[in-house]
Amino acid sequence: MPFMQNLSNAVVLAGTYILMAAGLTMVYGVLKVLHIAHAAVYTIGAFIGLLVFTWAGNFWLALAVAMLVSGIVGVLIYRCTYHYMLDAPRTVPLIASIGLFVMLTDLLQKGFLMGPYQKALPAGGAGLPRIQTSWFSLTPKQVLILVVTVALLAVVYLILTRTRIGLGWQAAAMDRDMAAAVGVNLNRVIAFNFFLGSALAGAAGVLVGVYNNSVFATMGDLPSYKAFIIIVLGGMGSLPGTIIASLLLALVENFLVASVGYVLPRDAIAFLVLILMLMFRPHGLLGQE
Amino acid sequence: MSQQLRTPLLEVQRVSKRFGGLQALREVSLQTRREILGLIGPNGAGKTTLFNVISGFLPPTSGQVRYDGRTIHGRRPHQIVKMGIARTFQIVKPFGDLTVMENVLSGYGLPYYPSWRAFVGHFRTPGSESAARDILEMTDLTAWAETKASSLPIGLQRRLEIARALATGPQMLLLDEPAAGLTSQEAEELAALIRKLYEQGISLIVIEHNMAFAMDLCQRIVVLAQGQFIAEGSPADVQSNPAVIGAYLGSEV
Amino acid sequence: MFSGYIISVAIFVGIWVTLALSLNILTGYAGQVSLGHAAFFGIGAYTSAILSLKYGLPFWVDFLGAIIVTGLIGMVLGLPSLRVRHDFLVLATMGINFVVVAVFKYVDFFGGAMGLINIPAPSILGYSFRGGFPYLALVWAFATFTWLVSWYVSKTWVGLAFHTVRIDEEAAAAVGVSVPRFKIYAFAISSALAGGAGCLYGHFIGSLFPDTFVFVESIVVLSMVIFGGVGTLRGPVLGAIILKAAPELLRFVQDYRFTIYGALLVLMMLFQPMGLIGDDSLLWRSLTHLFRREGVGEVDS
Repeated sequence: MPFMQNLSNAVVLAGTYILMAAGLTMVYGVLKVLHIAHAAVYTIGAFIGLLVFTWAGNFWLALAVAMLVSGIVGVLIYRCTYHYMLDAPRTVPLIASIGLFVMLTDLLQKGFLMGPYQKALPAGGAGLPRIQTSWFSLTPKQVLILVVTVALLAVVYLILTRTRIGLGWQAAAMDRDMAAAVGVNLNRVIAFNFFLGSALAGAAGVLVGVYNNSVFATMGDLPSYKAFIIIVLGGMGSLPGTIIASLLLALVENFLVASVGYVLPRDAIAFLVLILMLMFRPHGLLGQE
Repeated sequence: MSQQLRTPLLEVQRVSKRFGGLQALREVSLQTRREILGLIGPNGAGKTTLFNVISGFLPPTSGQVRYDGRTIHGRRPHQIVKMGIARTFQIVKPFGDLTVMENVLSGYGLPYYPSWRAFVGHFRTPGSESAARDILEMTDLTAWAETKASSLPIGLQRRLEIARALATGPQMLLLDEPAAGLTSQEAEELAALIRKLYEQGISLIVIEHNMAFAMDLCQRIVVLAQGQFIAEGSPADVQSNPAVIGAYLGSEV
Repeated sequence: MFSGYIISVAIFVGIWVTLALSLNILTGYAGQVSLGHAAFFGIGAYTSAILSLKYGLPFWVDFLGAIIVTGLIGMVLGLPSLRVRHDFLVLATMGINFVVVAVFKYVDFFGGAMGLINIPAPSILGYSFRGGFPYLALVWAFATFTWLVSWYVSKTWVGLAFHTVRIDEEAAAAVGVSVPRFKIYAFAISSALAGGAGCLYGHFIGSLFPDTFVFVESIVVLSMVIFGGVGTLRGPVLGAIILKAAPELLRFVQDYRFTIYGALLVLMMLFQPMGLIGDDSLLWRSLTHLFRREGVGEVDS
């Protein structure tokens, strides 16, 4: 496949990674917790998107509702668990997060929710056009992912830099205690953090569900593993780092798989990258201690 | 605790330490053998950094550290303890989950850890316990032997850290602000303990912020400021040294 | 007479008690939180299966081989713990689990996705058995051995060193503990024992599939340790018994097994993070208080 096409495919792939990883890194930035249950939020987003689309036939409505519900679920998760574990040793919220992940994923597989099989989400490109240039072409679905990703990232950037709560987040990410001391309402910042990050994950779920025309209960597992790899690569808690790392991982996967895909599956490649990164540059490509 | 007729010489030669853009130590040199040496200086002078370099927690950017003629810079902390230099920490680091007795025993285990003997036999034997009790008695911690370290007040935790360091059988002890957070009564007891250790043959370097404490206790003082050696001499000399006064006043901005 | 089913359940429980105790040495004693223990379980299982299936070696060789090989590989796979701690280590061990399973799945030597089948039943002194009381005795003998190893380690300098590494690596170094060396010891001992459990598993079931050893299974073992009381000798045993036997014996729980696992973990972390019978847990304090009042027994530590 020609280079530019490969490149544009990678960028699209990166889009979904970014949305998933952004939420994760935002949570880690303030709470210093590995929010493993994030995967379940992604899946819930896809599920809600499916339900709304099936009922209303409109992609954009489905996306909006999915994001809203995912955001709320995220905040609920925080309020019911991590909220009480802020001062406990790090293993406590970690294990709780694992417990949540296992519990939610199992529940989602039950017949009354998503069931054990995959379902279709035939939203197509939601009416967006195909893009054709002499170097590469993008299907409507790919255009959709790019458009939504860029729009959401722009919104997030504006919120983080222009609103009070966004600035409060930046302060809390740097030093939680100091932020509280200067009057930042930690509870509100953290809750907002979870809402935003979870909404992004929900959006990622819907987009991937539409792109692959497939929604299933365990669809969050692999993307969340990769999201962890990305936040380590990008420096835990760094949003720009996450964006760059997502692009890098997507590029490496696309180009490497083309050449050595027969040795190990692409996902194992991602994990080898993780282990090597942790061994040699644990603070990420851009992150600092 | 064996009587040392001759404590090895610690030589710090032109040690510098750089952290990215920050020069924490700049060509600091000192020598110490058999004394209670005070290391003082305003905040940020690099005193703890120097301890970290000597005890192996940080490699120097340049310069040498020698003990008993052997190079110790660049070695790992556990190797340096084995050579006879033990230390305490500025922010006390007890093994909170373990009892006071177990904390002291953890230091006593020094000769066992590197060998296969670590796998053989109970660590609480009559021999090890009695040695640990001797140390607890010397540091006046006997009453708390079976108490969890995390439930002790800060003053006792500091003493415990000294006891734990003593259990490794050092010839030289680096104490990082051992009097911080102590009442004046506790500080006096600490000074008495330090003098007792000195009489038993241990050489000590003491970082202290508490001027009165340091001047009263130490036989010789070295002053650092902003990572550099400023002055050294007897307490009286140092107190009246204009460079020293200037360093402290200058830092009071 | 006990039904064959009950014996099978007891065999599985014994194997998981071994797994939980072995993980406890790594996580509870040495403080290295690992989400990759299922990988060592799998390495042991596959090693012994290959030794018996492809090389026709007798059972005791397969068993020892599984233990030794897994222990050695455990030392290598434990190397990331020398560079990273806490959250980063959790991620690394997750990754290791994933890569190990991928190797089982995609490398033909290990049978690929179809796994390995027809693993011979163990035969000792000419007597061949798979299941039943003899196998039950074998599994629980090894579980007891693992418990004894845990107990023994906790009494020696190695155990003390492990705890110092867990509590404060710098303070540990300051008393002469070589932190890297002891972390590797912990990985070696813990993985070797898990490898033995893997061998017993493989020869009992008779076939192996890569998906048995995925990351979720690591979570299961870790949850047994945490649920029971991490760092104690009694906690992992109780945790494994409860969390392994309950789903097998209670039909309705079996369907919702993971939902309950997950919920239990969350609830434990909210209310009793030290475990059901960990030091300082409500249950343990009540039990010891009860016994102390009657003038019996000593407090386990």
